Amino acid sequence: MTNVYIHGIGMTKFGKLESSLKELLLEASTEALNDAGRPKIDAVFVGNFMGGSISNQEILGALIANDLGLGYIPSTKVEGACASGGIAFRQGILGILSGEYETVLVAGVEKMKHASTPDVTQAINSAMDTSSTEKHAGLTFPGFFGVLANRYFYETGATKEHLARVALKNRENGVRNPLAQFPKPTSLEEILAARMITDPLGLFDCSPMTDGAAAIVISRKKSPIHVRSSSQVSGPTQMQDAVDLLSIPAIGESGRLAYEKAGLGPEDIDVIEIHDCFSMTEIIATEELGFFNRLEGWKAVEEGRTKVTGDKPVNTSGGLLSRGHPIGATGIAQLYQLVRQLRGNAANQVANNPRLALAQNLGGTGSYSTVHILERV
Amino acid sequence: MKIYSCCGTDSITKKYACSKCSESKHEEKEVSDKGTVYSYTKIHIAPAEFADIAPYNVVLIDLDEANAKVTARIQEDVEIGDAVKLSRIENGAYVYEKIQNTSAVV
Repeated sequence: MTNVYIHGIGMTKFGKLESSLKELLLEASTEALNDAGRPKIDAVFVGNFMGGSISNQEILGALIANDLGLGYIPSTKVEGACASGGIAFRQGILGILSGEYETVLVAGVEKMKHASTPDVTQAINSAMDTSSTEKHAGLTFPGFFGVLANRYFYETGATKEHLARVALKNRENGVRNPLAQFPKPTSLEEILAARMITDPLGLFDCSPMTDGAAAIVISRKKSPIHVRSSSQVSGPTQMQDAVDLLSIPAIGESGRLAYEKAGLGPEDIDVIEIHDCFSMTEIIATEELGFFNRLEGWKAVEEGRTKVTGDKPVNTSGGLLSRGHPIGATGIAQLYQLVRQLRGNAANQVANNPRLALAQNLGGTGSYSTVHILERV
Repeated sequence: MKIYSCCGTDSITKKYACSKCSESKHEEKEVSDKGTVYSYTKIHIAPAEFADIAPYNVVLIDLDEANAKVTARIQEDVEIGDAVKLSRIENGAYVYEKIQNTSAVV
């Protein structure tokens, strides 16, 4: 259990945006600060992955502190590939738990759409072990999950259609989320016929390049949303080092720790945002987090259990696949959606007043994972 | 192909320290580069440095003589269970090829 509470949230629209990296950061942060009632901020943490390589812009923490008039306070940028946002949030929590800070602003941001796909893919590849033989072989992030998916199909009854059903569900959710990147409905047929990115993953199975930012204000002072637990672990950095290709131990272990610290289990969770960087990843993560049995996550998809109306609603925001994936912002955007769910005013609001919510944010091919469990109190 | 072993775990990557005993006493052994395809993908959308060879196949290979896997590029289209062997090492990458007319089941 932590003594940390969420006081305010903010998020820009996700998609292809004209605003600069800095403007996105300031817009989301201002909304979160206003939502929290403009408290005095003691520190700032920012999650960001490629501001330096793609936008030639660093010092993101100081930009916020200076341009939002927060004063001479400490500010820090946090990098953990696609888990940068979740790790920044955890650093904010730890700062409060240490007693050093009372109230912290955490923001996440990425600006990707202005660069070419090969250049962004190249920048994303910096989250691999770049000295490894498998990086030299040409493995990519989608490629890793393509290799995983083909083996998953081989060992289970799952097919490409199950992956398509994940993509379709998340698109249906995204269409009803005004902040999501993709407002256009699709169909199973369109998803299955889409061009291949890395076999068997097609265009709709892969999260897009996205511009966007999200922010959150947390404090030791009480609010109706309690951060019940926070966990983070590191895992294998190479595919050829995986003991079991169909398991991502960083996800499983971060989940186990978060449940243990919160004193509850997967059966208690009412609403979930997990890191569906690829449709395959969502299925594996639902297994690793204990919502479904190992190698049976695909059956839960078939039965509709992860839909908004299901018993384990996953990615009611549209997920990375349809809300969009501005890398450093994703971990914070997941929390934004869950706070809205717990407040009862979310896009795709789940029924029966959800009380416990879980966010899981992944970096690399399982190099980092964070889990946060939120509770309405 | 060189394999590093410690505490019952084989790996083709040499770690500074073993995750189980924290020591740096890996035993090095030479094993055959032959193996079977554990899984695969064909990469159509490549990073800038590989764009000129796309689409290309990347495979995860289960080595026959060690409890270890190796990631490699391969010219031919393959299926899980296909028998493969090292063709060459090219720009730091293992490049494999199919062993014709044989097929092992994983």
